[in-house]
Amino acid sequence: MTEIEWPTTGLDPVQRLRALAAGVRGALVTERAIRSSPERVWELLSDLEGEFGAIQPDMHRVTILSRSGDSIEALARSRYGMRALLRGTMTPGWCWLQSRFLLIGMAVAEGPDGTSLVAMTGGIRIPGRAALVPIGVRAEAAKSLDRLRVRLDARG
Amino acid sequence: MSFVGDDSRARAIALVRAARGGDTLAMAGLLDALTPYVGTICASIALEHGRDAAQEAMIAIFRSLKSLRDPDALFGWVRQIATREALRVATREGQAAGPELPELPAPGSPQLATDVGDVLRRLSPEHRAILVLRDLEGYSEDEAAELLKVPAGTVKSRLHRARENFRKAWTS
Repeated sequence: MTEIEWPTTGLDPVQRLRALAAGVRGALVTERAIRSSPERVWELLSDLEGEFGAIQPDMHRVTILSRSGDSIEALARSRYGMRALLRGTMTPGWCWLQSRFLLIGMAVAEGPDGTSLVAMTGGIRIPGRAALVPIGVRAEAAKSLDRLRVRLDARG
Repeated sequence: MSFVGDDSRARAIALVRAARGGDTLAMAGLLDALTPYVGTICASIALEHGRDAAQEAMIAIFRSLKSLRDPDALFGWVRQIATREALRVATREGQAAGPELPELPAPGSPQLATDVGDVLRRLSPEHRAILVLRDLEGYSEDEAAELLKVPAGTVKSRLHRARENFRKAWTS
């Protein structure tokens, strides 16, 4: 019998983020449709050493230490002086980074009518575990998405 | 038993062990490793709603990853969740068997994949699940019955009809 090519499907980055966050206790996914192309949105979000610091309320500075393929290692410093050695992956529309005490997840996918769907999750990680301290997570993400909107508008 | 290769299986099982230990990067790797498998089961059963079903299945998998007692049983466990979620989404979306195809391209033609999709569309979601379990996963009838939670005799009659429909589509 001829080999059958069964149908298959993948997940877009936002769907991946929802699935992964489901495995992290205390994680909330905050989503927003933004009237801009996914490429343009991702250009800002993926600028870890620049725009990202302006979008994330608690982030003072991020320094990329190494990049190899999709893998990335970065040093983050919060506005309160705490440092985190982040490791993870970054591909177009997708970023997932963890340190012992911090978790950052971002995703962008094409939304309806020329919009982008942006999703964020993360927060203070319970050391070494797939769990977050459930304090202020929703407010932080909402603030980040507000700032993202402002930064996009500023760019015209 | 399954269309997943031994290397992919071993890698996924190693990732599930690390993921259960709390490593979220291993969880991300596991998500990537399982996506083709879950995506094929869900797209074959839920058809155009396969992507939604795959998302629902992945959410269910990661939400209950801690409940998987034996990492070696990963793919059987995932298969059960993916099949259940795909059937649930297909039923929710009111999918039913479509009309008979008037004509099918010959086996080996460039439209082969499309033809298989058309055949699946002619079947009910449960028949699609039976075909997937038997012809893709190599399940026995009793195992298929257990997974679908229907009496073995029911599966056999469904299977007979499903295979007959499949055969007719391929040979017409």
